[in-house]
Amino acid sequence: MFIAFLKFLMRWFQRLVVLAALIALGVWLFYIGREHQVFLDNKTLGEFKALEQVNVSVNGGEVSELMARERGVKKVVGPKFEIKAEVFDEDGEIVNTITKEIQIDKIEWPEDFNFNFNFRFSKDIMINLPTLVAGEENFIVPAPR
Amino acid sequence: MIRKLFDIIANNAVPAVFILISAFAIPLSGFSASYLVQELLTRIGRNSFLILSLLIPIMAGMGLNFGMVLGAMAGQIGLLFICDWGVVGIPGMVLACLIGTPIAIVLGIFCGHILNRAKGREMVTSYILGFFINGVYQMVVLYLMGWVIPITNPNLLLSRGYGVRNAVSLSGIRTVLDNLIPTVITNSEGAKQFLNINGAGSFFLIQLPFFDGTIRIPLATFIIIALFCVFIVWFRKTKLGQDMRAIGQSQSVADSAGIPVNRTRIIAIVISTVLACYGQIIYLQNMGTLNTYNSHDQAGMFSIAALLIGGASVSKASITNVFVGVILFHLMFIVAPMAGKNLIGEAQIGEYFRVFVSYGIIAIALVLHAWKRNREREAARRSLRGNGGNA
Repeated sequence: MFIAFLKFLMRWFQRLVVLAALIALGVWLFYIGREHQVFLDNKTLGEFKALEQVNVSVNGGEVSELMARERGVKKVVGPKFEIKAEVFDEDGEIVNTITKEIQIDKIEWPEDFNFNFNFRFSKDIMINLPTLVAGEENFIVPAPR
Repeated sequence: MIRKLFDIIANNAVPAVFILISAFAIPLSGFSASYLVQELLTRIGRNSFLILSLLIPIMAGMGLNFGMVLGAMAGQIGLLFICDWGVVGIPGMVLACLIGTPIAIVLGIFCGHILNRAKGREMVTSYILGFFINGVYQMVVLYLMGWVIPITNPNLLLSRGYGVRNAVSLSGIRTVLDNLIPTVITNSEGAKQFLNINGAGSFFLIQLPFFDGTIRIPLATFIIIALFCVFIVWFRKTKLGQDMRAIGQSQSVADSAGIPVNRTRIIAIVISTVLACYGQIIYLQNMGTLNTYNSHDQAGMFSIAALLIGGASVSKASITNVFVGVILFHLMFIVAPMAGKNLIGEAQIGEYFRVFVSYGIIAIALVLHAWKRNREREAARRSLRGNGGNA
């Protein structure tokens, strides 16, 4: 009787372990397969003025040419991506090149920012390029919805 | 001798008719060999998994599982969720399978219980059950999604704010499996052109000097299909597979031998439904568009049609039947409209002809099966009566 009960418990335990493993696999797939929109914003933010021209590529993909006060959007898969920004002067010469690796789930948001459920769930972000080029840390701002 | 010949013809009548029609239609269509091979390879990759999912219920004597549409619906629900969450690529496909699996299992158990109450009439019961579950699916997708079930992507929803649109783009997972191991077959001239256009990327380029044209092979899909075939061959040799075969031969004998008939039949339907779920996901990743309210209907009908055309019957089907069926059925799909256009000047006539012949032949296959079964029963009855019975 006791052995039968143990077998019953063992069977359910095995089932629970498999179920937990499948749920964990689902969460991991969600984490690595999630597509995020990365908005590229070349507008003045605070003291950082909009750049004359900046060419931006994400994960070595297609280059977006953004003039002052323009915005672009890129799609990235997974929580981590690399952004490369080349800043041009008025003569069309490259004056600065910035490469930065960003992990979306490790972004530190400003404490006063009001999150809602949809925002946390979507994890789309916007990168303010003038702030990024200036070497400041708070170049990531919430994406427009 | 004549009887044996008659039996061979009767057993292979359907594939023979299709081969004959194709032999006339292919030259009439004017398509090149490389085009036909490319189209056929794409369609084999797209449909084979779905058709293979029909084999296990046939093995268990449950006939053609029209209830596979239940699995297809489960797969589509999984795809809708990954579209909403924005999970793309292979992780998206696997996640859709993970979401679809429990739904397919529940629907399979439900279907299995119903079919156990309708022994001997499984096909018509599962066909009607498909309509019933389609109603439930439509209620969930058309009314509950976006209202009770949260859908955050506005592109998926109807303008009223709830219910999923009729056509959903699967651009995030489109051909991800087919292109996972990109493989191209071409000749040396084609290889040069291909390298000029695509660059020396990470793909397998197989050069065949005698081959005219360039074809892409969905190698990863074929590997999965091959693994599935190995699974079916292995499964037949397992205890469960042997039980299913015994039940397929005779339920009463299997029951007397101590095999749990009802439970085994439910397992057969659950396996078929879950595999149909995966098959529908593979099918739709190739198509790249989900027709929310119709895709599953088409999946069931086309898979069963292809299997019958491959020479399978309601009680006997093999892996060979699956591949012969998918090739012949889809060859007709490819060549019939163009053959009709070249012959009569109207592509629609060719398409009407294909539909007429394809489904007419399916009806003939089912009638032939019923006739053959009645004849076998009559022969068995006669042999039981012995000579005195004939007198």
